[in-house]
Amino acid sequence: MSSAFEEFHDELRAVAGDLLAKDPVVDWNVLVQTGWVGLEVPEKLGGAGATFREVAVVCEEMGRATSSSNYLGSTVLAVGALKELQPSASRDQLLTGIANGAVRAAVAIGSFALDRDQRLSGRAEFVPDIEGADRLLIVATDPDGSPVLAQATGVTVESQPVLDETRRLAAVTADDVAAEQVWRFERGLRQLQDRAAVAVACDSLGLAEAMLSATVSYAGVRQQFGRPIGSFQAVKHACADMAVTIAVSSRLVGDAAAAIAQERPDTTTAASMAKSYACGAAVDVVGKAMQLHGGIGYTWESGIHVYLKRAALNRSLFGSSATHRKDMAQRYLATDQE
Amino acid sequence: MTGADLTELRAAVRAWCAEHIPADWRRSQTAVSDEDFVAFQKWWFAELRSAGFAVPHWPREWGGGMPVAEQVVLYQELAAHDAPRLVLAFVGIHHAAATLLVAGTDEQRRRHLPAILDGEVWVQGFSEPEAGSDLASLRTSARKDGDTYVVNGQKLWASGGLHADWCLLLARTDPNAPKRKGISYFLLDMKTPGVDVRPIRNAIGESHFCEIFLNDVVIPAANLVGAQDAGWRVAQQTLGAERGLTMLELAERLGHAGFRWLVEACAAERVLGDSVVQDKLAQFEIEITGLRGLCRDVVERSEAGTAGPADASIVKLFYSELLQRLTDFGAEVTGPAAHTRLTKPLSSGWESGCWMLDFIGSWEWTIPGGSSEIQRTIIGERGLGLPREPSVL
Repeated sequence: MSSAFEEFHDELRAVAGDLLAKDPVVDWNVLVQTGWVGLEVPEKLGGAGATFREVAVVCEEMGRATSSSNYLGSTVLAVGALKELQPSASRDQLLTGIANGAVRAAVAIGSFALDRDQRLSGRAEFVPDIEGADRLLIVATDPDGSPVLAQATGVTVESQPVLDETRRLAAVTADDVAAEQVWRFERGLRQLQDRAAVAVACDSLGLAEAMLSATVSYAGVRQQFGRPIGSFQAVKHACADMAVTIAVSSRLVGDAAAAIAQERPDTTTAASMAKSYACGAAVDVVGKAMQLHGGIGYTWESGIHVYLKRAALNRSLFGSSATHRKDMAQRYLATDQE
Repeated sequence: MTGADLTELRAAVRAWCAEHIPADWRRSQTAVSDEDFVAFQKWWFAELRSAGFAVPHWPREWGGGMPVAEQVVLYQELAAHDAPRLVLAFVGIHHAAATLLVAGTDEQRRRHLPAILDGEVWVQGFSEPEAGSDLASLRTSARKDGDTYVVNGQKLWASGGLHADWCLLLARTDPNAPKRKGISYFLLDMKTPGVDVRPIRNAIGESHFCEIFLNDVVIPAANLVGAQDAGWRVAQQTLGAERGLTMLELAERLGHAGFRWLVEACAAERVLGDSVVQDKLAQFEIEITGLRGLCRDVVERSEAGTAGPADASIVKLFYSELLQRLTDFGAEVTGPAAHTRLTKPLSSGWESGCWMLDFIGSWEWTIPGGSSEIQRTIIGERGLGLPREPSVL
């Protein structure tokens, strides 16, 4: 890896970290002005021509700050879905609109079918950032069984409030509505699912890092029995275990992000590993953070519950840890037939 | 190093492995005599040396110089082809070499590095009966006497002590200094009069590790490493330097032999379709992949001088506990049959194919070299900056 690349990441991380720490709610126009929306959009369409690795940095920082924004649905998934399509003028126009902030799109992945008359039916649940979006992009199966991306109005969007107040999720229902535009994927749907899983894994990595850092600070100043609680092995060793799982998460997430950026053939496995491990570990880390903060940790005021809810929701979005491991395990079955 | 170069190297290593690794070594090295084991180990080391594979991690001028990416390929292929482990040479090519390279004199390097390549065997004389996790409280004394030091004391858990030519020895040169300040680091010729080695039978039943009794043992002052009374710092430096490198191979072994065998064991037991088994296997594969990434990262950062103070501890802790869980699962999944393999092939590491013996042997990783508890303390204090325990000086 070139050091210029590393330097760019460090700079992006520092800028994002500073900005996101200021306000937990990040408006769409902030995402546009920072250039984060257009990171992966090609330069000729007004974007930065960067890769998923840079998007991953922003996702991790948003997890660290438990930011509330439309980034996941309207950038990571929307731009990602459009980039997976076969090139077309309409697609490029939409990408341009997203990069310059004129259009906020969102993507629904569920069980939608498109019939021969280009009419769309189906439903998706827990779709991020689709409420209030300008364009609804629906992943559907066409009559030949191929995945397509359809743009439609007349679709019902129904808010699904969750305990994690930092994310906005909604159920999307299409009941025989006309698709205004239908695009074909160049490769398939798998890439989009991998990307969603890894984006969430990045978020979990960032929030776990934040919780370790908060816990280490607290354990260094909180005194009991006449000394800082961090000097007790029970507390110190728990922090060490948090650090170890975060180190492992970081490697797996970094590798999965690189796999997506490089379109590696083993991307799906790398994504499953990152999603399964990092999202599971983050729940453990936040849980331990709450425990080590003692009574204060259990208060609403401490805010640790915000991290716990987000970590647990992340673990459930885009395939649970167990589901991803189950998918991975299908590769072992070949051993059975030898 | 481009991908194409690595592919070429991989093909070359494969071809070499196919030609040089004895197909039946596991069988022929099971229940073998000590002499045959030593002879086999020395022969295998010489084979690797002729191919340039014995010390790829050493600096080029001493016979190494292989980039990390190439080392990974080498270790992957050696593991995949089930190459014997370098059990006997291990301390020499890792601990002793790191010590000499980091803190030794030119003369010490010239004397020992080529000798190690010629098969000189080393043992580590650090722990004592009263100095285990609290290593700095060690009591073996070294009294300066003209151009020599006279050493008295007892060392414990010296793996490979019976076959060692030389010993990395920590001894106290200043009994009045604070405990970390009065220790010196020596190179001890095991043939020196007054050195008495007695094997200890370990939990597997092998007698690889030893007690070393030192009775008025005379060491020339030229065999002091670093300054007198600065031995603790030398030991800290060199332990850190070698940790990442040893782990690189071990992690690749875990991925390319250990995990593959575990899947095969599950297939043989007809439990691969079981969702609990599948979940466990996938979790292991994920953790091994994470470990491999970590190891590589630590080695690369050590070379670049950017490694964190607890990086090596994180790797050691995660590796050893993962190994314990993996071998435990292997023993569980293979049922009573796992208990019927009464001896394991010598020259194998934990990947002996005898899951129960390997499970027992996994404590050889969680206890020595700083137990898991000590590693957690290091990670907490040096890595995270948490306050030290007040009672520990």
